[in-house]
Parts: sequence; C-alpha cells; structure tokens
Amino acid sequence: MKALLICPVDSTAVPRLAESGPLATAPILGDCVVAHWVERLAELGARQIEVIAPDGADQVRKAVGDGARWGVRINVTVSRFEPTRQEAVDKYNPAGGPDWLPAPYDVVEMSHLPGCPGLPLFESYANWIAALTAWMPLALTPARVRVSQVRPGIWIGSRAQVSPNSELIAPCWIGDRASVETGAVVGPGAIIEDRSVVGTTAHIAQSWVGPDTFVGRMTSVANSVAWGSTLIDWRTGSVLHVPDPFLLSSLSESKIAATTDRFGRALGAKAPTRKRTELAKAMGAPRGGASDVNLPA
Amino acid sequence: MKIERDGERLCVSEINELTAANSSNFRDEINSAMTGATVVIEIDLSKTLFMDSSGLGALFALYRATIKREGVVLRLLNPVPEIEQLLELTQMQQLFEVVRR
Repeated sequence: MKALLICPVDSTAVPRLAESGPLATAPILGDCVVAHWVERLAELGARQIEVIAPDGADQVRKAVGDGARWGVRINVTVSRFEPTRQEAVDKYNPAGGPDWLPAPYDVVEMSHLPGCPGLPLFESYANWIAALTAWMPLALTPARVRVSQVRPGIWIGSRAQVSPNSELIAPCWIGDRASVETGAVVGPGAIIEDRSVVGTTAHIAQSWVGPDTFVGRMTSVANSVAWGSTLIDWRTGSVLHVPDPFLLSSLSESKIAATTDRFGRALGAKAPTRKRTELAKAMGAPRGGASDVNLPA
Repeated sequence: MKIERDGERLCVSEINELTAANSSNFRDEINSAMTGATVVIEIDLSKTLFMDSSGLGALFALYRATIKREGVVLRLLNPVPEIEQLLELTQMQQLFEVVRR
C-alpha cells in the first residue's frame, strides 16, 4: 500500500522549532514528526511512502532513512511549495487507486500528530504544548522500546537517570538519556526530551524542554517552551534568550562550540574540546552515560 | 539611570540594562540614596531590555538590604515580558512585589 506525507513549511508562528531543521524534523517525545507519521502509516499497512519536502529535504531524508526501520520504502521528494492535501491527491492519486491507503491516510499533511487531527502543532507555541500533552499517552507505541510507562501518566526513557529524591507528577515524560537530579520536581504537564538535564531542585511544569537542554539548579520553567538557551512563554509568546548558561543552555556539541567565548572561560576549561557529558558535569549535572533508571519513591 | 526621592519613596528609573557592567554601580547608588526615611523603593524596569545574573544579583542584594531595614518595601514596576520571564525562571518574582501600572 502507498501513502504520501506532506511536510509543513510555515514556521512563522513557531520559529524556534524550525531553527535546527524543517518542522517535519522537530523533536517530539523522542522522535520527530515525520518519523511518528511513518510509524503510524506503517502500522496501517503502508509499504511505500512518498514524503514531499518543500524545505530541508536532506534533513528529512536523514530523519527517516530508507524506511527499513519501519519495514517500508521511503522516497523524499523536493517540492518548491507545500501542496494542499487536495493538490497532492489530484497529482499522485487522482483515481483513488486500490494500492493506496484509504483516506484520510492516503495523503497526510503533517500539521498534527497521528490520532490528534484537532490539535494543530505549528499554529502557536500554546498549540504545540497542547498537542504534545494530549499525545503523550499515544506516543508509547509497540515499536518504541526505549521508553516505558513506570506509573500511570509517567513515562521514562530506559537510559534516563532520575534521582530517587526527585518528584515526578503525572502527566510527565522524561526522554531517553535525560537526567533529573535530586530535589527536582517534574510535572504536571512536563515533557523533557532526550539527553536533557534538569538540575537540582529545578521545577518544570506545563512546559516542554527540548532535546540537549540544560535546566540549571533551582530554576523554575513553567508554562514555557525551553530549548537551548531560548525560553518562550507559550501563553504570551514572549521570547527570552537566557544570557547565563548555568540557568538554561544547550548541551549539544555545536552550541558548545558556538558559545565558547561566552561561558567557556567561566568554566575555567577548554570548552570546545569538551564532550557533552563533561560539560554537563562541570555545570553540576551527574555523570553522563547509560545507567539504570532510579525511580523516586 | 535616574534616582528620584519623593518623600518616603525612592524611585529608580531609566535602566536600559542591568548587567555585570553596571550592576555594582546600580547597587551602590541606590544604597547611597537610601535614608532612614525611605519606606518604599520602586525600581522601574519598563525600559530594562536586558538583564543577566549580575543584574539579578544586584536586585537580590537590594532585597537583602531592604529586609535589614524593617518596614522598607521593594517594588519592581512594569518589567517587560522578557525580564518577567527571567524573574520567574530564577524564582525571584517570589521575593519582590512586581507591580504593573
């Protein structure tokens, strides 16, 4: 069976989500939008999926590969514009061929997550938070073995480090290889993406913390989208670029290199040559690396 | 930065930024301007577009100075949304009376 995915382009309402790549590769609960859709279509029986990518086609290809992970064949096609669903149907499946998935899964605009058609992802940061929060219970599909639901409404990545002295309040999601340190309070409505660090006694509520983000000790991230050093209040749209990396910063290698001048000296070390885990340690995070999950009491 | 005294009130305004470059000066000038008669200190943050941890430290130092003088109230007026976010991120909004006028 065939299916077609249309990557969204318009990021004017959520520019931070498109800084690292096209919206289709925006990170959501341990994977990206396009990967979640490919997985869903594969579950429905698709074996050949065409992805229309008006921008960032290479990054979309990198995100989904050849589709072998889901047992499908994927072809990413560059388009000069984002076609509507009807335009794509007219072009690719005008006769409603029997070898296509039945509507509406034959042609899908990835403006929402599978199973949540009423929750647009990219119309505002408030919508982004609402969609992800609603989708949390649906994200744990059989194909996802790196995350498990440890208590009702609490999902934790298998290689996450969660201090037994932290407090997790449902619903919350702690991604793979993420760290939650002692005294931290995560939830309700908190999503910590992969490899992020929540420092000692930090509070995260009604917020999304993007991947590779360091949330410093004693900080409070509430009603916000936090990714790297950018903090966005999703209620007002107010954007703050946090100047002090010990409060909020990126842990990714590229960001480390880019911000060396700013805080490398403060760490008293050669930041550009440091690996992520070493930097996290210097900032007060526990040692990185895989380990068992320690659940708080 | 402008400091005006109006009876028991000390008004600090026209602070464009509060960073490592001016936080010591900010703190010292306000401390010098405080007298035994000062009951209210109002820091107008409506023009403050950038603040870092040094600026937050200066506000915290001012907070400590006011709690040593019993009965002195410290108010932050009209912070722009970004500064309000920073105060919330650091949980410092719990220390101050944040007022919008």
